Amino acid sequence: MVTAKGSGLKCGIEIHQQLDTLHKLFCGCAARLSADRYSVAMTRKLRPVAGEMGSTDSAAVFEKAKGMEFQYFSYPLESCLVEADEEPPHQINQEALEVALKVALMLNCEIPGEIHVMRKTVIDGSNTSGFQRTALVGMNGWMQTPSGKVGISNVCLEEDSCQIVRKEAGRTVYGLDRLGIPLIEIGTSPDIHEPQQAMDVAEKIGMVLQSTGAAKKGLGTIRQDLNVSVDGGERIEVKGVQRLGMIPKVVEMEAARQKVLATKGKPVASEVRKALPDCRTEFLRPMSGTARLYPETDMSPIEIGKDYIAMLKRNLPELISDKAKRVASSGLNDEMVNQLKQAGQLDAFEALAKAFDPKVVAVVLTSFVKQLKGEGIAIEKLTQERLHEMFSFLNVNPLPKEGMLDLMRGMSNSPQKAPKDLAKAGGMSDDEVRVLVRKVISQKKELIGQHNAEQALMGLVMKEVHGRASGATVMKFLKEELGARK
Amino acid sequence: MESLFSSKGIKIGDKVRLSKGVVVYEGILMPSAGKREADSVVLKLPSGYNIGIVFGRGDTVERTPEQPKSAERRAAASFDKNKPQLTLIATGGTVASKIDYRTGGVSAAVDADSLLATVPELAKMANMKLVSPFMKMSEDMQSDDWKVLATEAANALNSGSEGVIITHGTDALGYTAAALSFMLKTPKPVVLTGSQKSIDRGSSDTAMNMICSAIAATSEMAEVGVCMHGTMNDDYCLFIRGTRVRKMNTVRRDAFRPVNDLPLAKIWPDGRIQRIHPEHARRGTGKALADTKFESKVALLKAYPGSDPSVMDFLVKKGIRGFVIEGMGLGHVPVNTEKSWLPSVKAAVQSGIPVVVCSQTIYGRVNEHVYSNLRALFHDAHAIGGEDMLAETAYVKLGWVLGHTKSMDKAREMMLANCAGEISDRTLPDTFLY
Repeated sequence: MVTAKGSGLKCGIEIHQQLDTLHKLFCGCAARLSADRYSVAMTRKLRPVAGEMGSTDSAAVFEKAKGMEFQYFSYPLESCLVEADEEPPHQINQEALEVALKVALMLNCEIPGEIHVMRKTVIDGSNTSGFQRTALVGMNGWMQTPSGKVGISNVCLEEDSCQIVRKEAGRTVYGLDRLGIPLIEIGTSPDIHEPQQAMDVAEKIGMVLQSTGAAKKGLGTIRQDLNVSVDGGERIEVKGVQRLGMIPKVVEMEAARQKVLATKGKPVASEVRKALPDCRTEFLRPMSGTARLYPETDMSPIEIGKDYIAMLKRNLPELISDKAKRVASSGLNDEMVNQLKQAGQLDAFEALAKAFDPKVVAVVLTSFVKQLKGEGIAIEKLTQERLHEMFSFLNVNPLPKEGMLDLMRGMSNSPQKAPKDLAKAGGMSDDEVRVLVRKVISQKKELIGQHNAEQALMGLVMKEVHGRASGATVMKFLKEELGARK
Repeated sequence: MESLFSSKGIKIGDKVRLSKGVVVYEGILMPSAGKREADSVVLKLPSGYNIGIVFGRGDTVERTPEQPKSAERRAAASFDKNKPQLTLIATGGTVASKIDYRTGGVSAAVDADSLLATVPELAKMANMKLVSPFMKMSEDMQSDDWKVLATEAANALNSGSEGVIITHGTDALGYTAAALSFMLKTPKPVVLTGSQKSIDRGSSDTAMNMICSAIAATSEMAEVGVCMHGTMNDDYCLFIRGTRVRKMNTVRRDAFRPVNDLPLAKIWPDGRIQRIHPEHARRGTGKALADTKFESKVALLKAYPGSDPSVMDFLVKKGIRGFVIEGMGLGHVPVNTEKSWLPSVKAAVQSGIPVVVCSQTIYGRVNEHVYSNLRALFHDAHAIGGEDMLAETAYVKLGWVLGHTKSMDKAREMMLANCAGEISDRTLPDTFLY
């Protein structure tokens, strides 16, 4: 195995992250993948743009695209005439622009005085227009890693492309729902010299993006590409690295592959390769020439004032890593802090832990939420406000784990109902509690009169209550029943 | 700032180095795009992205020693005696434009070579002759421009061309199509086309519209018509009679639809033609004639609830010689109200100014009898019912008619007679929302 050290490894990363905005970047459609029924919107062809046919490379691409037909599926809430490339783009989504500018500032970028939306030629049909709209919002930034500073060459705000529904002979079928979802593209300079550093960079950029609170989560919402070269050789682009953990291995193996080629005297051709699940790479396509970018003539440049930038700088989101450090200093163990971080619950934790037992809050926000999500409960209905309500109730009416989970289920399913109504509704009537208390006492007569009898009986009753009645109620009846027997 | 740049010999397209304190930007100087602050400079960075930079006091700029090379390429058009000759009359608009990759600007493609580079298929279909009498946005066109186009088309057809293609902005394309329908007596096709999506995008409708137009122009259909996308797909174009075509959508590529009529044909870019209309003029051998006499002092008005008819009286004083009113429904104008249009219509007609009434419903025929208000308008005030004519077509026709006669009776007779397919006495059910 060739080690990266001394191999003259140069690596850069390109990260694409979908934003979790309400609307798409250039229209009012919902920015999400659709679960709705589709209808066939149209069938199209694409042509090379005039003047692009000079080089043999793009001519070949043109010939290939020429016979291709593209069919598009539309969705009632996630596509309109803008996605159909009929209506011109609307004004840029301010929410998305602001997030992109914040990310650029968090990565120490310069912000241009005017942002120009550009068109990047794409003729595989994944953009109905034949181009992707993209704008440079930040440049010449940097970030710190344990093994040195890495330059951020560009932060761009762009529209996501259509997703492929299926490929047929001579025809590709696309869904219009993903087209136009705001996407931030972050490209680093080739300043990465260690495989592990590549992962550090990707992780940190991911953390910065998540810190905005506006990055989508889940499968397919973030895509990582790598640029790898050794000893000043040609640059190879590796697309589709699925998991963060794969990055060091992919870099290492790709560098090794290039080294082997070089030692055999074979030239390393600049090409685009695809990352495989076992971290090897395979040939995907030749490197396309430098992307042709030309202005989006349907939009005016967007002026970015100094005051606006200053305002954004004053209001940059706190980094998740800083938040995690603060939470750790509050006495929670590292494992718990990490779980809160992974679950994106640091903010909720900090807010709730001010008033309630931090350990209980942490468990509720991590393992309880996870369990209920797994059950398919609409846990997002349990807002921070509702959680506050719940913990206030629990302070007075402590419930065991099962009871708390039941209460959380109830509060998610009935967002209007108060915890006290739900705890009762899902639980036992006073009579039922009294009957249960009597039954346990009669079964465990031997305990009566003994030291700690009350506590022992309480424990036994509560085990059978399963959270269907509060501890206070049980204790009340237990005391009454025991008193009656004296 | 401009003078600073020009004093250093810097022009658009030059590579420059711009320093703002320690920050240095290098890129190609771009033309300004739209409304911008006077002190901002647009650079194309090596990455291809454009950014705007506010150029302040103390900032410096210089031309770099190495400069980009112009990458303009041209395909030479060669003559082939086995192919038909077509004349392309370019008038401006989205369709005849090209992108300059150096500056990113879109400019008019007025020479045959750059046009053929845009749509290379045309050279395989015909020997293309290019004429460009003027370059205008279609909404800026006047009746004098229609006269020029009619004359140019007739000249082309009488000097060896098998057909004419006119590229045109789309907004007022319907008006020009109507005007040429009345002005031209042609034995060969005259095809107007345009583009809803400019050629600087891979999804442009330009090429398919041009190819289908060339097919129409070499076909047997000796009609003046518009040939543009028939659907949102890139499948076929509709060839629609020039007096019956209307732009029905601001943005869609299938915006041009026939009104109260069927399209002449569907035309596929692979050369297939499917006739839709039961009748059309066939290609002949006679001479093309341009009869361009035109009265430009005509007006198109809209009558709507609350509308003020004194606008008519005002225009009469301004010398307007004829009116087309877009009425409501069957042709109604406000009558039993303070702002009745009847007195103004009556006064106009009595002073020899014809008033034609069409409908703002767009589809359907006006009627003179169904309601008493209609009878008042047509029988008492002597307005002319525009039958199933498009209001825009009636407006153009009235100008052409008044260019040929000053007589009210003759004008009425001509307005009610079908000259160029603009009126029919039968309305087929399929024609609605075709």
